[in-house]
Amino acid sequence: MNSAPSATTVTTALEMSNVRKVYTMGDGSDVVALDHATLTLGSDEMVALVGPSGSGKTTLCSIAGGILSATEGRIVVGDEDISGHSAKELTKFRQDKVGFVFQSVNLVPFLNARENLLVVDELGRRTGAPAKARADQLLEELGLADRAKNLPSQLSGGQRQRVAIGRALMNDPALVLFDEPTSALDTKLGEQVMELIRNEMKSRGTAAIVVTHDERITHYCDRSVHIIDGRLEA
Amino acid sequence: MFLAFKEMARAKVRFALLIAAIALLVFLILFQQSLQNGLITGFIGAIREQSAPVLVYSVDGQRVVQGSAITPEMEAQVRTAPGVREVGPIGQGTFTGKPSGNADGETFDTTIIGYELGPDGNGIGAPTTVVEGRLPNADNEAVVSDADVQLGYGIGDSVTLLPGAKSITIVGVAQDAQLNVSPTLFVSYETYLDAIKSVNPDAGTPLPNVLGVVPADGYTAEQTVTSINDQSLDLDALTKDDAAAQTPGVSQVQQSFNIIFLLYGLVVPCVTGLFFLIVTFQKANSLTLLRAIGAPAGRLVSSLLIQVIVIVGAGLLIGTLLYYPVSQQSLGGITLRFETSAVVFWSVLLLSLGVLSSLVAARRVLSIDPIEATTGQGVGS
Repeated sequence: MNSAPSATTVTTALEMSNVRKVYTMGDGSDVVALDHATLTLGSDEMVALVGPSGSGKTTLCSIAGGILSATEGRIVVGDEDISGHSAKELTKFRQDKVGFVFQSVNLVPFLNARENLLVVDELGRRTGAPAKARADQLLEELGLADRAKNLPSQLSGGQRQRVAIGRALMNDPALVLFDEPTSALDTKLGEQVMELIRNEMKSRGTAAIVVTHDERITHYCDRSVHIIDGRLEA
Repeated sequence: MFLAFKEMARAKVRFALLIAAIALLVFLILFQQSLQNGLITGFIGAIREQSAPVLVYSVDGQRVVQGSAITPEMEAQVRTAPGVREVGPIGQGTFTGKPSGNADGETFDTTIIGYELGPDGNGIGAPTTVVEGRLPNADNEAVVSDADVQLGYGIGDSVTLLPGAKSITIVGVAQDAQLNVSPTLFVSYETYLDAIKSVNPDAGTPLPNVLGVVPADGYTAEQTVTSINDQSLDLDALTKDDAAAQTPGVSQVQQSFNIIFLLYGLVVPCVTGLFFLIVTFQKANSLTLLRAIGAPAGRLVSSLLIQVIVIVGAGLLIGTLLYYPVSQQSLGGITLRFETSAVVFWSVLLLSLGVLSSLVAARRVLSIDPIEATTGQGVGS
């Protein structure tokens, strides 16, 4: 399996320039969730995005991952400018270019650990045997080889989070987005998961944004970026 | 395919219960379809399966063969109507018959239909499809409906009419030729008259109940019907199919069954649609996650539709397999039959309705916004 960085031809994994996200509320008023955010990530850089609840962390992450469209601004992930992508193009982009580890819902309960990784291939390229080999290798690396056939309900919280990390890496993404990856774990387990995330990202040379409001885990990242009221502060 | 089958494999009991429910409903639909067809065939099969294209009743008979009586004047009007080539009297009576083939010596209400045999017994009003033996070609011979053979009305058996000792020998078996859901014998018109006299020696010669008419060359049955009805307000001519369909009670039976079928037709898609809607709500978080990691909405809807087709298809298959052995039986003189056309019709209909009913769930899937994965919400939230 090829574990080398996927974006070897580009020097940046993410470029966000003057990105705004404005929500129009029911009463016609506008709420600015992200205000002229500019952020650049190197191709193997790991950034902690820190801020209080409601500061715009998840909005920024969602826009970078193509889950949400920006109101204005430019977003380039790897070598793909997604600023003007349609919903269909964004779906394809998410399939191929980014990995996600969400805060709460991360695994499909009726798929076992291995199938939760394979589903990424099933939804996208359907490469078959190579995908199975990659899933097996990822599970091996994540220490879950003996849990491959276990359903999520048969796994501990830490194991489930590791499966989610494996799934996020299945499509060999240019960028992985972690949304509060340790919020559901105790301190010790959270530290183990962050150690694992760092090792996996660095060994692959993959860029990552780790959304958190916990300053204690920021030292696992290369740098921290703070966000308050939708504005980024270096 | 991957998601659809993995989910079904991991929730076998849930999906198996739905298949069982659909299979049971399919079985009931098909069984009742056979029952309806068997019942109607038992009621009026003899009218459909006789050879006269047009039947003429007296208006007073209200389209009941035994209640109709054709006077000589009426018969003369029919014979002179344009478009009439041949006319033959048909009489019908109900007797107590004791078939020699019945080991228990049982007696049955037996319908006797008399017609003029003509050459080789193939006169106007003869049964059209003899599946065993031959048509009667002499008095005191009869062809019996196939449903009655099991009661002891086999070829070579004799039927004694009670009271009296009039005996009729069975020489052939006709397909679907019952009348009034009772054993039915087609005999010569003379044998029919003798049968009446044997149980009631004081009875005079009865009038024919109806006339069988063969249209003249160049006339359709419908044109001949119109021509005869124009002769007199006392005549009620009908094509044989109309005569069968308009026999009192037939349309009511069909309407009753149609209401039952309509209810079944609603229940199956309701059960299927609700099941998949509930399942969609239950797995809302998974669907949202899949959308967030790049699953096209169409792929998730396809997965849903595959499940619907597999589940309804399995229900149809099992329901049909349950129906097959039952359709080979008889119920109280009503012959059931495996209705291939009904199986095809209901399979297409229920599959289509199942898919249609699941569109509500599909709409839910299409409405999933992947952003909900970041908030932990799903479509059901």
